Amino acid sequence: MNSVSGMTLKGVKAVAVEVEVEITGGLFNISVVGLPDAAVREARERVRAALRSVGITLRGRVAINLAPADIPKEGALLDLAIAVGIASVQGGVRVKKPSLFIGELALDGRLRKVRGAVPAAFLAVEKGWDLYIPEENAAEVSLVEGVSAWKVRSLGELFAHLRNEIELPAVEHCEADYAPPQADPDFADIKGQSVAKRALEIAAAGHHNILLVGSPGSGKTLLARALKGILPPLSDKELMEVLLLRSTVGDSASSVRERPFRSVHHTASAVALCGGGTTLRPGEISLASRGVLFLDEFPEFTRDVLEALRQPLEDGQITVSRASGSVVYPAKVLMVAACNPCPCGYSGDPVERCTCSPSALERYRRRLSGPILDRIDLHLSIPRLLPEELVSLEGKCGESSAEVAERVRRAREIQTKRWSRYGIGSNSEIPEKLLRRNITLSPEVKGFLLQALNRVRLSGRGLSRILKVSRTIADLDAAEDIRLEHIAEALSYREGEALSWMKS
Amino acid sequence: MATKYLTKIGYRIIARNVSCRHGEIDIIASDGDEIVFVEVRTRSKGWMMPPECTVGPEKMKKLKRAARIWTEKRNYTGFWRIDLIAVTLDDDELSSIEHIKEITEGIE
Ligand SMILES: [Zn+2]
Repeated sequence: MNSVSGMTLKGVKAVAVEVEVEITGGLFNISVVGLPDAAVREARERVRAALRSVGITLRGRVAINLAPADIPKEGALLDLAIAVGIASVQGGVRVKKPSLFIGELALDGRLRKVRGAVPAAFLAVEKGWDLYIPEENAAEVSLVEGVSAWKVRSLGELFAHLRNEIELPAVEHCEADYAPPQADPDFADIKGQSVAKRALEIAAAGHHNILLVGSPGSGKTLLARALKGILPPLSDKELMEVLLLRSTVGDSASSVRERPFRSVHHTASAVALCGGGTTLRPGEISLASRGVLFLDEFPEFTRDVLEALRQPLEDGQITVSRASGSVVYPAKVLMVAACNPCPCGYSGDPVERCTCSPSALERYRRRLSGPILDRIDLHLSIPRLLPEELVSLEGKCGESSAEVAERVRRAREIQTKRWSRYGIGSNSEIPEKLLRRNITLSPEVKGFLLQALNRVRLSGRGLSRILKVSRTIADLDAAEDIRLEHIAEALSYREGEALSWMKS
Repeated sequence: MATKYLTKIGYRIIARNVSCRHGEIDIIASDGDEIVFVEVRTRSKGWMMPPECTVGPEKMKKLKRAARIWTEKRNYTGFWRIDLIAVTLDDDELSSIEHIKEITEGIE
């Protein structure tokens, strides 16, 4: 077996690419076999110039074979492996142990950061290979346990190392932080908004998607950001998943167990949101996985984009297809959608007047309805605080994020205990069948619910959502049974309640 | 002038003005274990075009073919390349020599 390998990405997995080089006499020529994409063609030029920079002049017929041939490859990822493969045939460089080389070469032989270093590290651990990476990728790789990796700054250094002339610095393993991440913003920094904070607590506890309806300036974005701070810190497994996804798009790593927060603008394409593209990258929904996905100006998103979000919200993962096959990316997000109460933004505002026409309101309502709303359990109206209210609230902002996070943690523990044998993690995931079988209400509570149902029209799905949210509220209370007050509170977050003019 | 230059930089001259039916090769020399086919261009001072631009794709093809036939005839399987030497004259006096190694693309 050849000892020089590179890699290419398939989803968040690194696939080993064996590099074989054969050089025979004749006029100088480089050919690459193995279904290379256009980038591999460019890689040849970079590799040639970089080799020249360390005094290796290519000549003769250089035949490079990348195996397996039938997988699409990304050129820049393979630069270093190709250069080492050539140098081991014609440059006095010997690779004694099977090794994985990743890095993009600059024309002067320096090594540039690449995406996918973390997947590469997992591959190296799995195969028991040594790993050579650009210095800039070292931070993320250091978080992968059991990897034997070396930091490379330039091709010259690497070759000197392989010739036993110098010793490259090894990547030291770095433990992830144990301290919980700092909440930013902290609940204690947000004035007023006690109802919204309570709803966010319920969303965090039961993993319920939430819709925030409020005028411009009511602090919807701030509240959405605060949500990630009351979620439990990432577990080891979750941290690795977040790290893998970030590495796959070339984002730098962090050892902090902070949950991702991704805010997506309504002009984002379905590919940007869901993943894909020519180089196949995960989208925002995957980068937000294990954290919060924030969609501001929710009604402005196109139908196509919202439709594309439906399946991943249901499954917690997303399948991206392209000609050469499909890959699956994680997409387990807590979604926060936000919108104005009406097109002008001031319906229900204490001071400003709504200037929207009835037909404009109707159009807005239609845009806001639709299949994606089935995935949103909590609907919430965010009042705009008037300056005098803000002043009167001076100094009393309520609990800190850490205190709320502790209640969330306990409620999640209860859910895990209850649902783990069914393979679900939170109340929001309870399937219809289980909901009927496992949630029993006392006659008194049932009577109250029926009464409420007579007052407000609720679809079957709407009723299910009320029951799931009630269960979460009861879990926050550490209550065995769902009580009347739990149902009553859940009803206040139901669809339509947040848009006053919709009820009529 | 070009042969003198090549000898000075350590090349060994193998042949000069070799012609076959695909054209002429000005100089054949060896640079270590590599055979070098040299195209010589002479021009007078004031000519602004860089010398490598004076060899068009047609000429290039001819050079490659002629060189390949030469190596095949001799069963030569080692490395070879094509260089360009541009001699610039100033009133018939040598003013400068430019040597461009490996003018072939090499990338398919
Ligand atoms: Zn309005």
